[in-house]
Amino acid sequence: MRIIVKSFATLREIFGGTGMLYLELPEGSTIEDLLEKLREQYGSKLDVGKLVGENPNVKILVNGREIIYLNGLRTRLRDGDSVAFIPPVAGG
Amino acid sequence: MGTQSHSYRRSQEDKLSPEELERYDRQLRLLGFGIESQLKLKRARVLVVGVGGLGSAAALYLASAGVGLLRIIDDGYVELSNLNRQILYDTGDIGKRKVDVAAKRLRELNPEIEVEALGEKLTEENVREMLSNADLAVDCLDNFRTRFILNDACVELEKPLIHGAIYGAEGRLMTIIPGMGPCLRCLIPHEPTEHDKIPVLGPLPGIVGALEALEAIKVITGLGEPAIGKLIVIDGMDLSFHTIEIKRNPNCPACRKIK
Repeated sequence: MRIIVKSFATLREIFGGTGMLYLELPEGSTIEDLLEKLREQYGSKLDVGKLVGENPNVKILVNGREIIYLNGLRTRLRDGDSVAFIPPVAGG
Repeated sequence: MGTQSHSYRRSQEDKLSPEELERYDRQLRLLGFGIESQLKLKRARVLVVGVGGLGSAAALYLASAGVGLLRIIDDGYVELSNLNRQILYDTGDIGKRKVDVAAKRLRELNPEIEVEALGEKLTEENVREMLSNADLAVDCLDNFRTRFILNDACVELEKPLIHGAIYGAEGRLMTIIPGMGPCLRCLIPHEPTEHDKIPVLGPLPGIVGALEALEAIKVITGLGEPAIGKLIVIDGMDLSFHTIEIKRNPNCPACRKIK
């Protein structure tokens, strides 16, 4: 299945400056599996701990809903789902 | 602006002069706005913390809308690299203190209002004094650390805070009314790494600063629905606006004590 990954700010820079990525994942994959795939692809530049620690600064949304209101890292993804990673920013 | 004009204006807070009625004519025509909203703006005292990219747009719109007292705070000097986005300043202002140039510009834009210029950095020591007698603060800062100082003081004193921030071609906005919704520490639980000299496309702080002024006007007048508990994420690259529901953190070190 194909998942759309939208990234913002500093994470967008890690993902090669592109705000939108398409990733192929096996059926039944979860956010955790998606993060593993991103870690494989972007390696050391991607600090996954910052994304998934307790009460993280980075908002992870599936189709616009934050995963803390779904099933957290175990939220199951479906073909065509859009996953957004939104870190805080401080520019003024 | 001397004391005399100040007390004169204070005594006129219950009415609008013919010039004011003409100056604010277009917003007075707004459905549900009316003289009462204009008088609320006239009586309002607003703190604009930072007059960079966000603060330029926010302060210009708040001054032109007729906010009675604008207290602007910034310890910076105008630099050439500010001018792609900080629309309060001209090339000839390079090297001058930002608050001095900004205050002059805002007074020229609207002589009906008071502008106080504080050329200092906001700190844990001075934040309460800066907020004293202010009705609301607008976060136009450029770092997390000072934002948390401002947030904590606004929560403690129960003053509304309009949060805005930008990065590259992106913007963020959330209206904080302590006790009614989440605060900045509920939104950002951990102090993130600070970045110096971040990328900024000029129109983004303009957009977010203008939205902060809009939110401030709404909170002061009671019109509309401010973005309380809603993080607005603006992506300038595909021109999408996302609204993310943010809840209060029951263990928030700043606002958990407020009912």
